[in-house]
Amino acid sequence: MPSKSELIEKFFKLQPWLTLLSRLILGGVLLVAGGLKVGNPQKSAMSVRAYEVLPIDIANFFGYVLPWFEVAVGLLLLAGAAVKICAVMGGATMFIFIIAISQAWARGLSIDCGCFGGGGAIDPSETKYLSEIIRDIAFLALAVFLYRFPKGRFGLDK
Amino acid sequence: MAANNSPDKGTRNLVIGMVVFIVLIGVIFSFISNKSSTSAAIPASVSESDGYGIVTNPEVKPQVDIYIDYQCPICKDFEIINGGYIAELVAAKKIKMVVHPMTFIGVESILAANAAACAADEGKFLDMNLALFQNQPASEGSGLWTGDYMKRLGNSIGIKSEKYDKCVTDGDYVNWSRNVAQASADANVNGTPTVMVNGKELYRKKTNNDPKDEYMDPVQFRAVLAAAGVK
Repeated sequence: MPSKSELIEKFFKLQPWLTLLSRLILGGVLLVAGGLKVGNPQKSAMSVRAYEVLPIDIANFFGYVLPWFEVAVGLLLLAGAAVKICAVMGGATMFIFIIAISQAWARGLSIDCGCFGGGGAIDPSETKYLSEIIRDIAFLALAVFLYRFPKGRFGLDK
Repeated sequence: MAANNSPDKGTRNLVIGMVVFIVLIGVIFSFISNKSSTSAAIPASVSESDGYGIVTNPEVKPQVDIYIDYQCPICKDFEIINGGYIAELVAAKKIKMVVHPMTFIGVESILAANAAACAADEGKFLDMNLALFQNQPASEGSGLWTGDYMKRLGNSIGIKSEKYDKCVTDGDYVNWSRNVAQASADANVNGTPTVMVNGKELYRKKTNNDPKDEYMDPVQFRAVLAAAGVK
């Protein structure tokens, strides 16, 4: 059984690599999620409207902007530039997704989260809120880690 | 280290600047390319006040608004279940039908919506609407639907006109399809099919076991129309 200080030392040796891994996962997911949606803003706007939270105009606005926002944060995380800020933005996005999906679930809406380009009202049998929420919580955890340890391997931040 | 630091910082800031720039351009492009346009050409049977939908029997009540995407499989199901009855009512001039061809599934939805509008100008909208659903590709974005396909489909339902072929090839009503999309968004249509009778949306089942389903149960669908005054 290694002592506590040995474990801490080990963690700090590993941390730059863990930061790199977190950046690649969170950045990659955001880039893919955004990239799948940028080509179809109509659908993206529809999936934001389907949550039935925001007024129509504002929902449409977010539907148009969100995919590009995800692409930007994703690219910067992959490049390792402005990691701390991107961690806050990526984490906030995930937090909002978790709230939005949870309220849809609680209100009994039948929608696809629209996370990767689907979206809108769907058949009740096709909803998968729990797995969507768990997935987003995992991404949120990565964002929190990146906020705490933004400096890692192969990043542009110095 | 200090000597190394400044060029690195420059690269970092350049990367951040480039990403922000590209994304801003992208956002602006998304807004511009989906903006509705008051100068878009619209088919004669389209009414701006009815959300740019294609109108049949404009003088009749009740009004039935049907929001579909020609690539949407559930829309096809709805057409199979209720399309025959709707066609009967339209032929007997018992309802005003407004079809809103949405285009959120992709490029082929735009091709189909454009062709449907071109067919409307030939007085063949109902036939084309049915033909599109009957010939819906098995998967969305399959590449099967092309401009030539739409011409052949039009010919197969008896449209023999150069004007139609040109309308399909030139995409005369592509801009109109954006207006439909925008108006449908403004009407808070978040999925297809969405059907409204006199502005009131049909009841969509909330769970799998929900016995109430005014979309896919033809008896309940007829009951809604009967309640709206269809005899």
